[in-house]
Amino acid sequence: MNCQRFENVVSELARGQMMAAEQRAEALAHSDACENCAARLGNEEMLTRGLQTLAAEMKTMAAPPELENKLLEAFRTRDAVAPISRRQSNSRYWLAAVAAVLLIVMSVVAVRWRAAVDTPQQAITKAEPQKKVETNDKSEVVVDDQTEDVTPKREIVRTPSRRSRRPYTPQVANHVRNEIATDFIPLGYMNAAHFQDGGRIVRVELPRSALANFGLPVNMDRYHEKVKADVLYGTDGLAHAIRFVQ
Amino acid sequence: MNVNNDLNDSELLRSMLAGNEEALALLYRRRQGGIYRFALQMSGSKTIAEDVTQEVFLFLMRDGHLFDAARGSVNAFLLGVARNHVLRRLRVEQLLAPLGDDFDDDVPVLHATSDLCPLEDLTRAETIESVRKAVLSLPSKYREVVVLCELQDISYAETAEILGCAIGTVRSRLHRARALLLEKLRPSMETEEPGSATVKSARCFA
Repeated sequence: MNCQRFENVVSELARGQMMAAEQRAEALAHSDACENCAARLGNEEMLTRGLQTLAAEMKTMAAPPELENKLLEAFRTRDAVAPISRRQSNSRYWLAAVAAVLLIVMSVVAVRWRAAVDTPQQAITKAEPQKKVETNDKSEVVVDDQTEDVTPKREIVRTPSRRSRRPYTPQVANHVRNEIATDFIPLGYMNAAHFQDGGRIVRVELPRSALANFGLPVNMDRYHEKVKADVLYGTDGLAHAIRFVQ
Repeated sequence: MNVNNDLNDSELLRSMLAGNEEALALLYRRRQGGIYRFALQMSGSKTIAEDVTQEVFLFLMRDGHLFDAARGSVNAFLLGVARNHVLRRLRVEQLLAPLGDDFDDDVPVLHATSDLCPLEDLTRAETIESVRKAVLSLPSKYREVVVLCELQDISYAETAEILGCAIGTVRSRLHRARALLLEKLRPSMETEEPGSATVKSARCFA
């Protein structure tokens, strides 16, 4: 054993702590051979004796006897008070439980009420596309079905679920209802029969002078304003027809 | 309701929480000494020690259900609570600075023993006083391990439970604390034993 290792065990050695017999023998042998370590062990042992003396001196010290009486008195008082506080806490739990039940009932009622309100609106929105089909001419029907095909499908698939209670009002249907549009005018040499092949409508804004290109009258007072138009793109990606919208 | 004296601390605590006053009295008589001494040795003040002892048992009445037998003994639980109260009181009263000679007037009186001659008695009293002052002047994290391991003779494992740290930490803190104590007590030890060599940091090659 060297001094470093002796330093690690010197406290344990001086305190008489449990340690391996071999290690203890090595440490004692080292302290016999090393003057510094022997002095170190001596100091540690003296400190241990000093601490033991202090501990022995204070061994008999205890809290004053009146403290026990105070605590027992406090315990009795607590016993007298405890059931009341326990009742209070129980009543609090009951109140919280009743409030929770009320909250659940009210939410269920609110959800059902909303579901009841939603149902007629959905019936209306379902009915709207059918009306439009009846009123529009053939070309419009074809185009609307292809471009806004998602909208009617959504309405049909939609069931009164918790996520989508809000009545759905398709904007395009409103546009169609509120807007006045010309018939689709074929671009180039396209036959009107090709419109049935399907495609996509893109709403664009054109200079008002574009009306003149299709033989439509132009209001010269609003010459600088733009005009809205729907361009029908075919499946080939080419513009097949156009209609003007007001 | 009568309580059997053979009941262990956990059983007494359970009985006390069920409203048995005698169980509290028995548990108090069994554990108050250790708690009082711990607080006294930590603070050096009888007033604080009394207050802390009272606080610990009031806490036990109020929150005794927090005791978990799986985490340690009732004694460790009580000493852990006492430690928290002592440290709080010391923080409040700003006694963490080394106390030196500014002890309370209510420090425990060290009794002379009759089986020693007056000179030995005086030497012994001086030794005790100097050791006590040295312990009180230690930083709290070292003081608590000295108080628990050396003065209360509690094992490393139980000390670790009380302090909420690893056993290795307890061991290393105690080692460091003893080195600090030796530093503080060196002058008195040198006068006591003039021939004894002082510890040098130089390494020997024996």
